Amino acid sequence: MRRSRSALNKVLRPALGRAFVRIKGGNREPSWILWEILLPMIMIASVIWAYEHLGAPSIFKGFVILGGAMMSYWYNVLWGMGRTLYWEKETGNLELFLLSDSRLPGLLLGMALGGMFNTSIRSIAVIIMGVYLFNAEFNVSALPLALLIFFLTLISLYGLGMGLSGLHIVYGRMGVRINEALDEPIMFLSGQYYPISAFPTLLQYAAGLIPLAVGLDGVRRALLLGEGLETLYIHLIILAVATVAFYLIGMKMLNSLVERGRRDGRLILRWM
Amino acid sequence: MEQAIETINLVRVFSSPQGEFKALDNVSISVPNGIIYGLLGPNGAGKTTLIRILATLLLPTSGDAYVGGFHVVREANKVREIINLVSGGERPGYGILTVRENLMYYGQVYGLTWSETKRKIEELDQLLGLSDFLDKRLNRISTGMMQKYALARGLINDPDILFLDEPTLGLDVNNARAIRRVIKRLVEEGRIKTILLTSHYMAEVEELCDYISIIDQGRIIARGAPEELRRMIEKEIIYDVDIRLRDVDRLNFLKRLDSVIGHTVKTRQLSGEARIRMILSSEDIGTIIRRLEDEGIHVLRVSRSEPSLEDVFLKLVGKGISDEEK
Repeated sequence: MRRSRSALNKVLRPALGRAFVRIKGGNREPSWILWEILLPMIMIASVIWAYEHLGAPSIFKGFVILGGAMMSYWYNVLWGMGRTLYWEKETGNLELFLLSDSRLPGLLLGMALGGMFNTSIRSIAVIIMGVYLFNAEFNVSALPLALLIFFLTLISLYGLGMGLSGLHIVYGRMGVRINEALDEPIMFLSGQYYPISAFPTLLQYAAGLIPLAVGLDGVRRALLLGEGLETLYIHLIILAVATVAFYLIGMKMLNSLVERGRRDGRLILRWM
Repeated sequence: MEQAIETINLVRVFSSPQGEFKALDNVSISVPNGIIYGLLGPNGAGKTTLIRILATLLLPTSGDAYVGGFHVVREANKVREIINLVSGGERPGYGILTVRENLMYYGQVYGLTWSETKRKIEELDQLLGLSDFLDKRLNRISTGMMQKYALARGLINDPDILFLDEPTLGLDVNNARAIRRVIKRLVEEGRIKTILLTSHYMAEVEELCDYISIIDQGRIIARGAPEELRRMIEKEIIYDVDIRLRDVDRLNFLKRLDSVIGHTVKTRQLSGEARIRMILSSEDIGTIIRRLEDEGIHVLRVSRSEPSLEDVFLKLVGKGISDEEK
């Protein structure tokens, strides 16, 4: 007998299903260890050695390791979600999903959650290797606050990612190009391998618009500089506002782009 | 009685830099509950466009369509609760996962719990015979297995209305027969209330469907039960002429003959022979044979034939349903 599904069920069930696909698929072939852990470590090690060579304070090792660990989430939630959605469209999986009464944000959430699970393994490996290979030190007592900032960052990125994913539906390959065009400036502004305090004031404000830059700065301040809620509450407010704003904007963008895709036929025309 | 599917003056125009293309031109169909309804037409006739609109994947340019009494644009989410779609030659899915894991995923997409999905997969295994490949990776199974998997995916939510878009496309005779058997059982056993099936295989539509609409260039050109359609051509004069010929283009002159209402050619590449099926306006086959021989075409056999459903299309459009546009 047919049951009516709650709105939450229409988001969470497909999210669970898609996360299952990503986790199962992502771990079926062990080559991921090479791509996801060993290769990124080469980049992180090279930056750390460059800082050591220049005589930078040892705290910079922690900056690089946290940046390396968090950047993969950025890729997964934001870029990864859009790229995977484009792949889903090209393979025809998106069409089959849209046939169902499940909601598209559920699919995107599932991609993000599955990706986060796989990325967490990489990030934990990066941090462990950082601690043991490069003797990076972290303030473990600030871990709860750092995790709060971290998760708020991810949720706001998810909202932003939803909107950007819609570009892939309507613009296809062009959506990929738009992502690529945004890639380097955002990498630069978010301070993957350096503190954003190194920027001129104007660039610091610009970086404040990017949740990753705010989140990364907050996590670093908590885990490396030992700062607490009394200074980091601004980060939390910015991220909370960004979460709500990006979610609303993302949903609106996604819905209107999907509707446009349905009107133009781009949901089913795979070459576009 | 409420119709399972109804379209009213449905139009769909695709725009591209090359211009506009009308894929559906005022299509109106009514599909009652509880039948297999066939939509028959050559490639590019508009069958898939119509199914995509009914499945809420594409918006119509104008006109209305209802599925299960719900409007496909205004009540798209309600439509999605009661439908599913299976396309022939379908290759979507996650190749790195097994067939079972893919079905587990689709169970979640349709809101089933893990245990409900497991039970459903067992049930579908009984119906479709999936056990040989349930635990094989999707990218390692054959085309026939893939189509059974696609059908299982299409049934995972127990849809009231199932759209089957060329369900046996690319399958060998045995696999196509097996799929057709399942399709029949689905309606006979009441698992699916209504099926809308598109095909360009005349025999398939004739075997499965209770009612047929013939579509060409976005327009419905004939409709009726198979026997009603056959009645349209029962008085026609139909001949099969076997010839030795490799270059089919040499038969283009037949289009210019007034006495030939329509013709289609099926070639047998290996033997170098071809069969022309012709609907004639008079019994004068002799004139046509002479014209063929004048063109240097060697005629092997000539036989008068009984009309088939395929000839309805031949009569209405002047070419066979499987003929490629030239």
